[in-house]
Amino acid sequence: MITFDHVTKRYGERLALEDVSWHMDEGEAVVFVGANGSGKTSILRLVTHEIQPSSGVVTVGTFQGGRLGRGPRALLRRTLGIVYEDFRLLDDRSVFENIALAVRIAGRTTDAEVHPRVQYALEEVGLQSQERALPHELSAGEKQRAAIARAIVNRPAVILADEPTGALEDRSAAEVVALLRRVHQEGAALLVVTTRPEVATALQGRTLRLHEGRVIAGTATATAAAVPATAVTG
Amino acid sequence: MIGFYLREASRSFRHHRGLAYTAIFSLTAALTLCGLLLLLTHNARMALRLIGDRREMVIYLKDDVTDSARDVLIGRLTDLYGSVTYVSKEDAWRDFGRQLGDPSLLEAVQDNPLPASLRVKLKPELLNTEAMEVTARQISQFTEVEDVRYGQEWVRRLDEMGNSLVRGTIAVGITVALAIIFILYNTIRLTVLARRPHVQIMSRLGASDRFIATPFVLEAMFEAALSAFLSLALIFGLQQALASRVVGLVFLSPATALGFVAAAIACAWLASMLALSRVLRAVGA
Repeated sequence: MITFDHVTKRYGERLALEDVSWHMDEGEAVVFVGANGSGKTSILRLVTHEIQPSSGVVTVGTFQGGRLGRGPRALLRRTLGIVYEDFRLLDDRSVFENIALAVRIAGRTTDAEVHPRVQYALEEVGLQSQERALPHELSAGEKQRAAIARAIVNRPAVILADEPTGALEDRSAAEVVALLRRVHQEGAALLVVTTRPEVATALQGRTLRLHEGRVIAGTATATAAAVPATAVTG
Repeated sequence: MIGFYLREASRSFRHHRGLAYTAIFSLTAALTLCGLLLLLTHNARMALRLIGDRREMVIYLKDDVTDSARDVLIGRLTDLYGSVTYVSKEDAWRDFGRQLGDPSLLEAVQDNPLPASLRVKLKPELLNTEAMEVTARQISQFTEVEDVRYGQEWVRRLDEMGNSLVRGTIAVGITVALAIIFILYNTIRLTVLARRPHVQIMSRLGASDRFIATPFVLEAMFEAALSAFLSLALIFGLQQALASRVVGLVFLSPATALGFVAAAIACAWLASMLALSRVLRAVGA
């Protein structure tokens, strides 16, 4: 499903990831845990093709390595559901419209196609009563649930979450983690990056620890045994 | 889907009213300038056509041409060049006397020296300098013809005037088209930059370039269409105000007015496509 093969990423002189290799299968949950600047977000940006590796190969589903054209890149992103720390909801439209936008982007254009999907996603995250609310009228936890609804509405094979509880207080964070876990249990693969070890524990996924761009602990694939960091990173 | 795109375009327009109004104001000014020249050209060309339609060729016949030869010649000229009116020697003499104002002045002249002539009202496609020169040359080849006159210099000047008007309109049209493209190119760029976070989010969600761009293209086309209608309204108002003072001043034909609006919309489409192809990359979409 997703494979990093000896991936290194540099931003100018700064090394963000160094010779990182790992793989996740369909329906699996993988959590990268590390401090700020450890390279977590670079992993997600490589998966979504926002950035290209300096060396190595990133494979996502059938999209293998190299720089994708704008069309294939958009197609790749439509197969993913993405949740950001800062929610990234469009502030000038309601919760319903934010979620509906993802459905329309996926090519389902009629109201008959859009409405049931959005209603389903709203039910999944428990936001039916807030469908007409604008983002600024929601709490942080509700915003993140709306963002999760937008991520799951097209039933993607993989949900990516970049520090999903970063802007939330404990209770909302626990609700969001529980929600992500439920989405995963319903069949979606989950790739989460976080600074919080307790999120990784709660999600009960395979955990990889990142430090200064290197994987220092965890298992590179679902079938491999946990090995020291040097072996994991190749 | 078009309903969704129109809603998105309307949303973008409402959110950036200042930019949109500035664009509409600038476009209206440029289009009004172009429209005024179009009105001037339209009316001038109509006037020139009216004058031009009166252009005719005078063919002087030899004195020894028989009636039957003359009739054959009239038939051939009618087929080839246009309608023909025969002016006999006597008619010409009478007309000359009338032009002098005092027919008694001619009583001293014993013989009528004026030749019979044929006046040819040329077909529309022959009403230009080159065609008239060729026609005159061809007609002068007939054995019955003494001379052919059609006021070459006058015809040439009339044609030059018409051509200058057309060239002027094309030059101003191109200048205004470039101005429209420049204005809308920058307006769309600024609008997209102002909506940068929205565009980036859509891109992260997997929106294609077409999905992101279409509302902006529609917005630009709407602004151009609105500006074109506004400028036509201004020009119509001016024409109505001047109609009582300038005899024969008419408004643009419906086809020209529609073409004017269509050209503005086409420029807007081109400008927005150019702007979006660059700016979407620039905002990292």
